[in-house]
Amino acid sequence: MKYLQKKLFLMLMVGIFMLTSCTKEIPITEVYIGDSTKYDPKPYVFNTPWFFPTEMNIPADNPLTVDGVFLGRTLFYDMRFSGYQSADSQMCCATCHLQENAFECGMNGPFPNGHPVGITGIATPHVMLPVVNLVWQNNGYLWNGLIHPDNPQVSKRTIEDVVCMAVYAPHEMLSDTNKARNAIAAIPGYKPLFKKAFNTETITFKLMAKAVAQFIRSIVSVNSKFDQYLLHQTAFTPSEANGFVLFVTEQGADCFHCHGGDGNPLLTTYQFYNNAKDTIFTDPNDRYGVTGDPMDHGAYLAPSLRNCELTPPYMHDGRYNTLDEVINFYSEGLKPSPYASPLMHKLAIGGAHLTPQQKADLKAFLLTLTDHDLTSNPAYGPPPNFP
Amino acid sequence: MKSLKYISIIVLLLTLMFSCKREDPIVDIPVKYGNIGFQFANNVDGQALRVDTLVYTNAAGNNYMVNEVQYFVSDIVLQNSNGTFVSFGTGSELHYMDSDLPETSNWSVADKIPVGSYTSISFTFGLNEVRNISNVFLNPPESNMWWPLFLGGGYHYMKLNGKWIDTASNLSAFNFHLGIGQTYAHDVIVVDSITGFVQNYFTVTLPNSAFTIREDKTTNVEIVMNIEKWFEGPNVWDFNVCSATMQNQSAMQQVVENGGTVFSVGTIQ
Repeated sequence: MKYLQKKLFLMLMVGIFMLTSCTKEIPITEVYIGDSTKYDPKPYVFNTPWFFPTEMNIPADNPLTVDGVFLGRTLFYDMRFSGYQSADSQMCCATCHLQENAFECGMNGPFPNGHPVGITGIATPHVMLPVVNLVWQNNGYLWNGLIHPDNPQVSKRTIEDVVCMAVYAPHEMLSDTNKARNAIAAIPGYKPLFKKAFNTETITFKLMAKAVAQFIRSIVSVNSKFDQYLLHQTAFTPSEANGFVLFVTEQGADCFHCHGGDGNPLLTTYQFYNNAKDTIFTDPNDRYGVTGDPMDHGAYLAPSLRNCELTPPYMHDGRYNTLDEVINFYSEGLKPSPYASPLMHKLAIGGAHLTPQQKADLKAFLLTLTDHDLTSNPAYGPPPNFP
Repeated sequence: MKSLKYISIIVLLLTLMFSCKREDPIVDIPVKYGNIGFQFANNVDGQALRVDTLVYTNAAGNNYMVNEVQYFVSDIVLQNSNGTFVSFGTGSELHYMDSDLPETSNWSVADKIPVGSYTSISFTFGLNEVRNISNVFLNPPESNMWWPLFLGGGYHYMKLNGKWIDTASNLSAFNFHLGIGQTYAHDVIVVDSITGFVQNYFTVTLPNSAFTIREDKTTNVEIVMNIEKWFEGPNVWDFNVCSATMQNQSAMQQVVENGGTVFSVGTIQ
């Protein structure tokens, strides 16, 4: 009897041990309450529909945190960022990247033709690309993909580097990083923001660029009518539906091979194509200028068509002011050259040859790509106040 | 006393039920394993493909170049000489090959393969209806193979893009694509034009694909796509007749028929 009791006790103990050995240790996390200047890096959480890519282009040394994104947002909108004192020389990212125009300058912004110029009036080599959904852009930034992790020039690899380039560029801020850093470091109110974002009150330009890059990566466009359609939350009008069919059919307008669609909600592959708009290629800043591959003459990034309603002028050189002009180009205006992408398979007949109704339908579909959440979300707008 | 016995049994049973390690059933499993890897090569006329170079002539006499080729193979099955079949587990169901991404030429299969001699290798070219579901690939490069839901959804099984000298002596483009086909009610493509879909994936059994798996060794099998065969037969392919296939099921059917001889085995080592 005693033996059995002992045995039973032993079995119970073994059973309990085995049961409890299955449960995972739950780490006890320290909770900070009440100290608004303490470094407490909460990860920034994206809220995107399920059909968006799960892989994000975020450098390991600059993960997004709530405080880092907030600091970056403040710097993005702070006119003192360029390091100049006088108001007519001051610039910041938001001088040209306007939220209401999907973070391009648009045609209704500070530059009437939609082609930005720097503080001394020098035009940028190309028109703007939207600073939206860059967290999913995986194939190099800028029209020619120059900014890429594999770039042999270590200063031309990341969005952080682009922030630095914007400060120096004569066609942008025409400043330098010391000037920019000194201007921001002289503002006492920035110290606690850097402390919260990066656990230091020592302000460097590197940290400024990191913060701005975090904010830029946080800017996503994921709630257009098109997204709501994919989520079965809304229906297309007959014209929009016909336009969508034209967009995704090879015998229609065949936009989707380069510009995505229901299987690629980014509305671009982020690859580089010569889209048959020229016959002679002399731009030193085309894709060929980066790769040296002769097939890349006249090739440029396929920009996302999200919010294209808000982002004229179109093409790398801004040659088209309206979506109608763009549709007409793809319908009848293709120009043959040996460098045209093979995906421009209607090159021999000049384009897709859409009827006026088809053009109207295609445009109606393109307008469903406008994301009013992006253009009105306060989290992407100026901070409530500046330090 | 008796009740103690029952309690003991119950405790024992509970312990077994809740314990972490499941007892594996005792089965007769081979104890020796090796590995298999595949190298994907794209050839034309027996030589490695030279992309972007107008040097090839197909069976129809078209002077052509290939700019890129991208495709899926899936559900590889190895036939053992003892009559059993080996297929791969989760994570190794398919492979994406992209001529623009050299790293996709090599596929080291994670699964352990029982040692022994194997008589053949077969696979699905493309993706069957179970695998070919829209938005199963959310990230590039595979996501860039997406095939519009309107046209049947899922993914291109293959994109083979290039150019040829057309009858007017112009350099024209071809998009030799394969995926789900459609049947149409009428010629005008509008929202209600499509009446049905056709699965175009097909099974390839590689000729002369016998190989051996040795213990703790990796056997590497080179799978060669002989691109000229897509255009050779039984249907001689003339780009002047068809240069874009996606919405042309009769053309895609011919692609499928030509696909039977496209693949061969290169080196096995």
